[in-house]
Amino acid sequence: MTTPAATYTEEELVYLLKQQSREAFNYLYKNYARVLYGVINKVVYDEQTAQDVLQEVFVKIWNNIGQYDKGKGRIYTWMINIARNAAIDKLRSKGEIMKGKIRTGEETVNNLAQGMKTEQVTDAIGLRKMVAGLKPEYETIVELAYYKGFTMDEISKTLEIPLGTVKTRMRSALQQLREVFKK
Amino acid sequence: MDVKAYIESGILEAYVLGSLTEQDAKEVQVNMLSYPEVAAEVAAIEEAMLQLAHAQAVEPSATMQDKIWNAINASQQNAGNGAIQAPFIPKVIPLEPEYRSQGQWKYAAMIAMLVGSVALNFILWQQGKEEREERVAIGNKIEQLQTKQKQLAAQLDDYQKAKTMMADTGMQTIVMHTMQAGHPMAATIYWSKAKGEAYVAMNALPEPPKGMQYQLWVIQGGKPVSMGVLPNNMANSPAMQKVDMQVNSGEAFAISLEKEGGNPTPTTVYVLGKV
Repeated sequence: MTTPAATYTEEELVYLLKQQSREAFNYLYKNYARVLYGVINKVVYDEQTAQDVLQEVFVKIWNNIGQYDKGKGRIYTWMINIARNAAIDKLRSKGEIMKGKIRTGEETVNNLAQGMKTEQVTDAIGLRKMVAGLKPEYETIVELAYYKGFTMDEISKTLEIPLGTVKTRMRSALQQLREVFKK
Repeated sequence: MDVKAYIESGILEAYVLGSLTEQDAKEVQVNMLSYPEVAAEVAAIEEAMLQLAHAQAVEPSATMQDKIWNAINASQQNAGNGAIQAPFIPKVIPLEPEYRSQGQWKYAAMIAMLVGSVALNFILWQQGKEEREERVAIGNKIEQLQTKQKQLAAQLDDYQKAKTMMADTGMQTIVMHTMQAGHPMAATIYWSKAKGEAYVAMNALPEPPKGMQYQLWVIQGGKPVSMGVLPNNMANSPAMQKVDMQVNSGEAFAISLEKEGGNPTPTTVYVLGKV
C-alpha cells in the first residue's frame, strides 16, 4: 500500500471523500480530527459526550459529502459547522444550555470553564495568550454565539445589552481576531 | 443598498457566528450572491474562525480512529441500497519489474487478477444497479411524454378544425361581447350561412357555477331561438364545438346562463354579437 500524498487541495479532498475508501477516511481523520474535536470540546466538556459527537460528525461528513456545495464556501468551514451544530444539538438535548441561560453571560463562561479538564484550561490559556488583546466582552460574545448556539436576541437578553451593541461587538471581535491571525 | 454600511453593521459576523434567524441568514446569502464584496467579507470572517479553530485543536484519544471507521461502515450498511455510491476506481499498484524474480511475478499477477476480478464484479454490480434505476426513470419519462403527446394531438385537432373553417370563405366570424358591465367576457361564433353550419367557442367565459349551464341562442326576427345548452368544460378554453342544429338565418347570436338543461327563453344574457 502506498501512503497518501502529504496534502490534498480541498477539491481533491472532496473527490477523495466521494470515493469512500479507507484511505480517504485516514486522510480526513489525520488532518481534521484534531480541529473538529477542538471545536466540539469548546461546546461540550464531558469527554464521553465529545467523543460521541466526534463519531457522529465523521459519519455525517462521510454520508453527506454529496450535499456539500462548493459555491457556499470552503469544505473546511462546512465540516466545522457540522461539528459545531452537532455539538450544540447535543448540548441542547442535555438541557445544559437552559442552565446557562438563566445566568449572566460572564458567569456562564466561568461556569463552563470550571467544567474543563486541566489540559483544556491550559489550551484555553494558550489561546488567550495568542489572541492577547481580545477583550473579555468580545470573547464572551464569540463564545455564546459560535460555541453555545445563542441567537442575537438571546445574547442581548443574557448580557443585558441592546441588539445593536451585540452586532457591533461581533464586528469588533472579528476585526481583532483577523488582525491577530494576520501576523 | 449601502454595501459598506451593511458590511460594517456586524450582520456578516453574526451570520458566520451562526446567531442569525433562518430568515436573516437567507437574506445574507442572497446579498452574498448579489454583492461580491459581501461574499469576500464573509469568506474573510470564515477564514478567521478557521484559524481560531486551528488554534484550539485538541487531539482525540488514539482509539477513536478505528472506532469511528467501524461506525461509518455500520452506518453505510444501515443505509442499505438506497444510498448512492460513488463509482469504484480500481487502485493501481506500481510494480518494479527489474527487482522481481519469476516467482514474485506470478504472485503479483495472481493478486492483480484477484483484485481485478473483485473490482470488475463490483463495477458490474454497480452498473447493473444504475441501469435498473435508469430504466425505471426512463419508463416514467415515457409515460409523461405519452400523456403530453395525447394532449398536444387533441389541441392540434382543434386548431386544424379552426383552420379549415377560417379558410372557408363563406364562414363568418361573429364575436359576442359582454352584456354584463364590469365583467369582460367574450365568445365566438363561426357561421356558414350557406351551409347552415355554426361552430361556437367560449374563449373568455367563466366556468358556470354548480347546477348552471350556458345556453346558445340565435335571434331570428327579434325573437331568441334556443340552439341548445353548451358543455361546461368548454368554458374558458379555446375548444370549439359544432352547433347541433341547422342555422339558416339570424340577426344575432347570444349566450345566457341558465339552470342545468336550459330554459325556453334566456334568463341572464352574458354575451351577444350581431351578425
